[in-house]
Amino acid sequence: MATLTSSVKPQTTRTRGWSRSERRENLWGYLFLAPWLIGFLGLFIGPGLVSLYLSLTQYDVLSPPRFIGFANYVQMFTADRLFYPSLWRTLYFSGVGVPLGVIGSMFLAILLNQKLKGVSFYRTLFFMPSLVPLVASVVLWRWLMDTDFGIVNQTLSGMGVENPPGWFTDRRWAIPSLIMLRLWASVGGTQMIIFLAGLQGIPDSLYDAASIDGATNWQKTVHVTIPMLTPTIFFNTVLGIIAALQTFAAAFIATEGGPGFATWFYALHIWKNAFDYWNMGYASALAWFFALIIIGLTIVQMYLSKRWVFYYGE
Amino acid sequence: MAISTGTPTGRDGVTIDYTTTEQIRRRNSIRKVVTYILLTIAAFSFAFPLFWTVSSSLQTWQELRSFTPKLWPTDPQWQNYNDVFTTVPFARWMLNSFLIVAITIPGTVITATMTAYAFARFNFVAKNFWFICMLGTMMIPAVVTLIPQYLLFFQLDLINTYVPLTIGSWLGGGAFMIFLLRQFIMSLPRELDEAALIDGANPFQILWRVLVPLMKPALTTVAILTFLNDWNDFFGPFIYLNRIQMFTASVGLRFFQYLPMESNEPRDHLLMASAAILTIPVIALFAVAQRYFISGVVMSGFKM
Repeated sequence: MATLTSSVKPQTTRTRGWSRSERRENLWGYLFLAPWLIGFLGLFIGPGLVSLYLSLTQYDVLSPPRFIGFANYVQMFTADRLFYPSLWRTLYFSGVGVPLGVIGSMFLAILLNQKLKGVSFYRTLFFMPSLVPLVASVVLWRWLMDTDFGIVNQTLSGMGVENPPGWFTDRRWAIPSLIMLRLWASVGGTQMIIFLAGLQGIPDSLYDAASIDGATNWQKTVHVTIPMLTPTIFFNTVLGIIAALQTFAAAFIATEGGPGFATWFYALHIWKNAFDYWNMGYASALAWFFALIIIGLTIVQMYLSKRWVFYYGE
Repeated sequence: MAISTGTPTGRDGVTIDYTTTEQIRRRNSIRKVVTYILLTIAAFSFAFPLFWTVSSSLQTWQELRSFTPKLWPTDPQWQNYNDVFTTVPFARWMLNSFLIVAITIPGTVITATMTAYAFARFNFVAKNFWFICMLGTMMIPAVVTLIPQYLLFFQLDLINTYVPLTIGSWLGGGAFMIFLLRQFIMSLPRELDEAALIDGANPFQILWRVLVPLMKPALTTVAILTFLNDWNDFFGPFIYLNRIQMFTASVGLRFFQYLPMESNEPRDHLLMASAAILTIPVIALFAVAQRYFISGVVMSGFKM
């Protein structure tokens, strides 16, 4: 509309600045944008810049911040014994958990997209775990996988397994246990519903064409369904990784980073430095490096997506 | 495939190959049975932990700590649920959680709709720039802004209030919600706006009278997602609240896990009961709004 009116208007309005309709678009546009814009500047850009400054200082809240240049960053890479391990742990948890979750959600969605009786009942059942508040599901899984009294180990012992793992209390099994918890809580959730939406957007004509060419169901899944779902896979993977890297609550409630720092994720490391040691400057440096990692990983994924994500009709 | 031209032909040169259709039908029904079996096994393993929560919450701790687990207690201990409320201020915590979502749901629904409307329908200066900024906020981890925000709220003496936990919802409500609503508004025909404009409606009236009534599935989705996010949120309340009376149910449950008791009795049974209590409102809400929720996600931008 703006273009239509401004092309009709004579040149004179141009010299006076914006045309009436342009002024209208800007006025109303910014009016509706205002709450978000205030929040963006006041709760995001402002604090972001402050934390960038704090990352170059030593600050314990009690005395004013003291500028120390890049010393925090140097300490991070050279002197912090927990820095690299917490980073690898976080990458291990996300790198295993997210792909498993996305693949699981996709196959579940393909199963649930078939015209079967009672399919909505199944959908609800799979969705339920994602509704359980995280704190509740952690409490529940700690109980299920309790070393002595948990149903999992009691079943394993009953089946003749000697010395079943201690799960959350075992250094080697703590992260796999968290991954299992995460899969249970997320595979049937919103991620799967987004896949269902993606599946319903695939035109029937593609399946008809594949049938005429004599494709089996498996071939249709591999050569039609999955390629058509690549944008959804990409979307879920990108958002999944951003969220998984920031995992705090699950690890904190289940194990408080233990046993023996086995689940000491990066977000816990930041929290500990900020709110337990009150090293606000150092914690800000950790946080900024974390932001760079997440942005970097997202950009790499966007770049790589050109090679494997298929946009139909473009 | 059912039409075979290689076999001896009928009058018009085409015979229907009944054996093949029969095979296909059989193959399809086998496939259906296999799908059902797979789904049932998977559904059982997904639902079992929920069943186990309820079952464990109705046992005594002695029963829970025996080496012969029971699938269902012989004598359900319903008073466990009562004990949760008498040992810790769980009712107060639940009320606090409800209070928070009562502030954040209208905030998110109203301000995310406004922002989405601006992005979907107006051509203002630097629109694309702001839009990319908005999407960019999804990439930045919350901890980057958390420390200065905490210091700010600390200076303003707002620790142990719900302001830090709710203010964001009244300032746009988050990029994901805005994006979802913007995609939904873009899918509504522009002619509706233009017709109302010709009738003399201003943009506020267009949004309120024309678009909002059509956005019900998307707005319900946003309301439910906001409820889930804030009801389940642990990190925010954990950082900003340290007075027990102010706790939300999520933080309270974790606190309860470590609370020293007068007697040294294990309280797994009470923990399971409180986990169930914490989950009930979410399941109830979902049961009521399920249809809107799924169609809201499906109809929004996720078709991509």
